[in-house]
Amino acid sequence: MSTPKNNQILVSEVMMGLDRIPVIQEAVILKEALEEMGRTRLGIVCIVNGDNKLLGILTDGDIRRKLLKVQKPFAAFFVDDALDHAICSPMTIKPGNTLVHAVDVMEQKQIWDLPVVDDKGLLVGLLHLHPVVQALLGSK
Amino acid sequence: MKKDLLEVGYGSVAKVKIGEGLPLVFLGGPCAIESRDHAFKMAESIGKICRRVGVPWIYKSCYDKDCRSSPNSFHGLGADHGLRVLADVREEFGIPVVSDFSEPEWGKATGEVCDLVQIPAYLCRQTSILRAAAQTNRPIHLKKGQFMSPWNMKNSVRKLEAAGCHQILLADRGTFFGYNMLVNDMTSLPIMAKTGYPVCFDATHSIQLPTSMGNISGGQREFIPYLVRAAVACGINALFMEVHDDPANALSDANTVLDIKYLENILGQAKAVHEMRLELLAKYGEDNVHPEK
Repeated sequence: MSTPKNNQILVSEVMMGLDRIPVIQEAVILKEALEEMGRTRLGIVCIVNGDNKLLGILTDGDIRRKLLKVQKPFAAFFVDDALDHAICSPMTIKPGNTLVHAVDVMEQKQIWDLPVVDDKGLLVGLLHLHPVVQALLGSK
Repeated sequence: MKKDLLEVGYGSVAKVKIGEGLPLVFLGGPCAIESRDHAFKMAESIGKICRRVGVPWIYKSCYDKDCRSSPNSFHGLGADHGLRVLADVREEFGIPVVSDFSEPEWGKATGEVCDLVQIPAYLCRQTSILRAAAQTNRPIHLKKGQFMSPWNMKNSVRKLEAAGCHQILLADRGTFFGYNMLVNDMTSLPIMAKTGYPVCFDATHSIQLPTSMGNISGGQREFIPYLVRAAVACGINALFMEVHDDPANALSDANTVLDIKYLENILGQAKAVHEMRLELLAKYGEDNVHPEK
């Protein structure tokens, strides 16, 4: 919903900060990643290295597709590094981008979440569709 | 230090490198150290064969066999005597040695002598043993328990890493199939290699029939050559076989140790298959069937 006011809203104003989103380190196994995804109920987890650089993301949909494709025992699947099954070049957005631009990206890629990274590729937050909709409707 | 390259050997002994693209390394010797004389005799005999075949090797023998089936079975020479023998073998023949330990407090002494420190398969998930092994600062030969899945070995690897060890050789020695029976699943080798560490196949314990003879283990030695060829072709970096000059009278694992008279034949085949695998790899590239991607 592109209005003059909406066009001014920045991603940084609506994104969830690191304290509210599921983030795991690169060596975390899939079973622990699933637990983290369940804890925050967002259906996504961001995977970072020790410097907080975003290495990949893993979503409910990725797991669903992998379950059909990778036909190994659950016990073997669970102990894989989550990063082995992650999307390693995910779409991202910058904190200084506008919310309207972010929604365009979500629409084009048919995704509900966008990791927010700074110029160095460090993870600074997550843009989730629901707060975005709320922000855009609230500023009508 | 690169985790996919294991460098074994300190001091003046021959340095042995284990890793992908390198010559196949042999780990071998009698299961238990029976005496100083016997250890010297075996080290000399095996060394000659390895030199003829052209295989780098590490002398293996244990000073304490803590997982024997019977209280009456030979338990070993003990840490003091056994480690002195291994130290003498190192000194005399200039070769690296490997032995396991089954009590955390033996780790330090074992690491002071051995170039490669081994974790027994039955103890592969014991945190105290793994931590003691890591504290030796030697490369670790970690054997997959017969009860463990290859993917769960990653947890034991993580325990070693958490304790500061990043020089690990992972070995398969067969997997329990019901009672008193092992099977050999070659997929365990690429699965364990996925940890990034070199992998080894223990051919003589793989043909063991654990405690199948009531109070001792049996074995089907006739299958050793088949399994060696299969494992080397599948892709390993080191081959482990226990070798004896008189298997019928061996003090430990008499039903599984390989008679030394067959060693040259089997090592020669293993070397040839290994070199062929590397040639095929160079010609055709990495295996590219990756359903996970």
